[in-house]
Amino acid sequence: MEFEFDEDQRLLQQLVRETVAKSRPQPEDQLWTMYQKLGWLEAPPVELAIVLEELGYVADPTPFLATATWFAPLAGRLPAGAGTGVCDGAGRFVLDADRADEVALLTRDGVRVVRGPDLRTERVATFDPTLHVAHVTAPDLVAGIPDLTLMGLAIATVGSCRHILDLAVTHVRQREQFGVPIGSFQAVKHKAADMYVAIERARALAYFAALTIAEDDPRRSQAARMAKAAAGECQQVVFRHGLQLFGGMGFTWENELQIYLKRAKAGDLLLGPAAVHRKALLADRVGAAT
Amino acid sequence: MKLGTDPEVEKFRADLADFLDTHLPSEADAMPRSRSSSDMPEWARTWQRTLFDAGWLLPGQPPEYGGRNATLPQQLAYLEELARRRIYQSFNPQGLGIIAASILSFGTDEQKRRWAVPILRAEITASLGMSEPEAGSDLAGLRTRAVPDGEHFVVNGQKVWTSGAHDADVLLTFVRTDPDAPKHQGISVLLIPTSTEGVTRRPFASIADPGDLDFNEVFFTDVRVPRENLIGPLHQGWTVANGSLGHERTLLWLSFAERLDDLIRDAPSREEWYATLLMDAQALKLLGYRQLSRGQQPAELSVLKLLGSEAVQTASLRALEERGADALVHPARTGPYSHMNNDAFITSWFERYVRSFAGTIAGGTSEIQRNIIAERLLGLPR
Repeated sequence: MEFEFDEDQRLLQQLVRETVAKSRPQPEDQLWTMYQKLGWLEAPPVELAIVLEELGYVADPTPFLATATWFAPLAGRLPAGAGTGVCDGAGRFVLDADRADEVALLTRDGVRVVRGPDLRTERVATFDPTLHVAHVTAPDLVAGIPDLTLMGLAIATVGSCRHILDLAVTHVRQREQFGVPIGSFQAVKHKAADMYVAIERARALAYFAALTIAEDDPRRSQAARMAKAAAGECQQVVFRHGLQLFGGMGFTWENELQIYLKRAKAGDLLLGPAAVHRKALLADRVGAAT
Repeated sequence: MKLGTDPEVEKFRADLADFLDTHLPSEADAMPRSRSSSDMPEWARTWQRTLFDAGWLLPGQPPEYGGRNATLPQQLAYLEELARRRIYQSFNPQGLGIIAASILSFGTDEQKRRWAVPILRAEITASLGMSEPEAGSDLAGLRTRAVPDGEHFVVNGQKVWTSGAHDADVLLTFVRTDPDAPKHQGISVLLIPTSTEGVTRRPFASIADPGDLDFNEVFFTDVRVPRENLIGPLHQGWTVANGSLGHERTLLWLSFAERLDDLIRDAPSREEWYATLLMDAQALKLLGYRQLSRGQQPAELSVLKLLGSEAVQTASLRALEERGADALVHPARTGPYSHMNNDAFITSWFERYVRSFAGTIAGGTSEIQRNIIAERLLGLPR
């Protein structure tokens, strides 16, 4: 296998990075219109992962993730406008359910797509002010999270973790105590290195999940579980060390670190934290063996 | 990115499989076991020579050095296939992977003929003299002195952790030739036959067993080494060190992937740590493949070594703990015996766990790997 981006994928990554960096102060609805025009929603799994990693990096406020990875794999198409999906069997903490134009519901009788405004939803206040989640009330829901949904949240979480590491590294290079940058202390370096390794591990597993989905490889479900679990584990390391390395400044509202810490933590908690997917991975294996 | 296999690599893999099926020594042939990393029973020498003659010993090398000019992906397939079948291509692994490889990279044609080929053909075995009592992580601080004297160097000093030295015919030895130069610039590399007067080797046992004699202290007292045994340019030993260890490091992650696969096989569990083990094994291979297509980036190899060695250690500990008091039993066998592999990796759970520290200490400790990652990949100040 080849596990490196090809030339087109590298160019896409560069384009997404530049586009996202340039457009950061824009309001949410303008970003959303721009993403739609750029055709990113139609990207196949690996290319979609490339886009989602960068959107995670900037804690994107639009319904992109829900539309591309919660609605589309359930409905088998893109929605008119923004979309999301209910696949947890309970309709709890559904990403962007309060503002979706179309919602795909996984029910006992298969997938049912309904108009968002027709659905009973209740927005939930969370620790991440830019995150939209809502509870959905609908009958006959059953659980069955699509592989693409797990992969999408995993790679977006990895993107947020990368931003935390970048901010932490910049900080410890500049911040001086005892007359030297604190980044010259080994205790600090080793935390930064552990963050980097955790990100590389989770990122590799997320792209592997995207690749197995793209090629409909039999390992796709296991790979998606691994991706979600690894992103959650990565976030644990990166959140803890990232905030710790920032010292008191990381604990303030005004520091932008908080935006990515919260997004990363939410990425682990939504659709089940790491431990849930580790257990599911083992259960699936036992199931497959018998 | 793509999952598919390359037909050229698969053809190569199939050829190798045919060769192995035909030529592998039987379990009875392989009864005399190797007692150290430079001890080769006669059957192991014959096996290595068979590989050499067929171009299956170091596939990346040309035929005269036991290879077939294989590409890097083919070399990976070769090592994967050997690992999958639990086959050692050499029971003098550092002789093959580091010492012969260094001579092939930095030696003269005469040195290749006189030293590298006999090592490759398993006519002689070799050990690596790098670490010293005062030079471990700070390898460039080594003090063993070599002073020119006519057509010789006179060597005085001490090495330690020299695996297999008591069974080796020759030591690739890093010595200080210019004590006044900055420490990285005054090092040279000498091949020192162990039969030379003034070389004393003292094996000492590992934590695993008083009979596990691989480590050595090696003392050099007025040892006269011909100038022609200098490998690479005078005072340029640091370049040789980086180059020769570089060979080893590029694919070192595969040995950790192999240990992780061993643990997946030998310690199946329904506890969560087992899921972490599956993920670590998968992630390590993915990052290893990516590294191969990116080419040489030494600092990224630190990520692979750190991830792989610590994953093996963590999973070994979990396997040990899960067995509770049953894990006290020692000696024990905890994996299937493979006559072509090193017995050390299927011993008691305690031994498997303690041996995992070889991964986090030897070849640059985990602490040094973290420094490298922080300084070279993240740009933190030294």
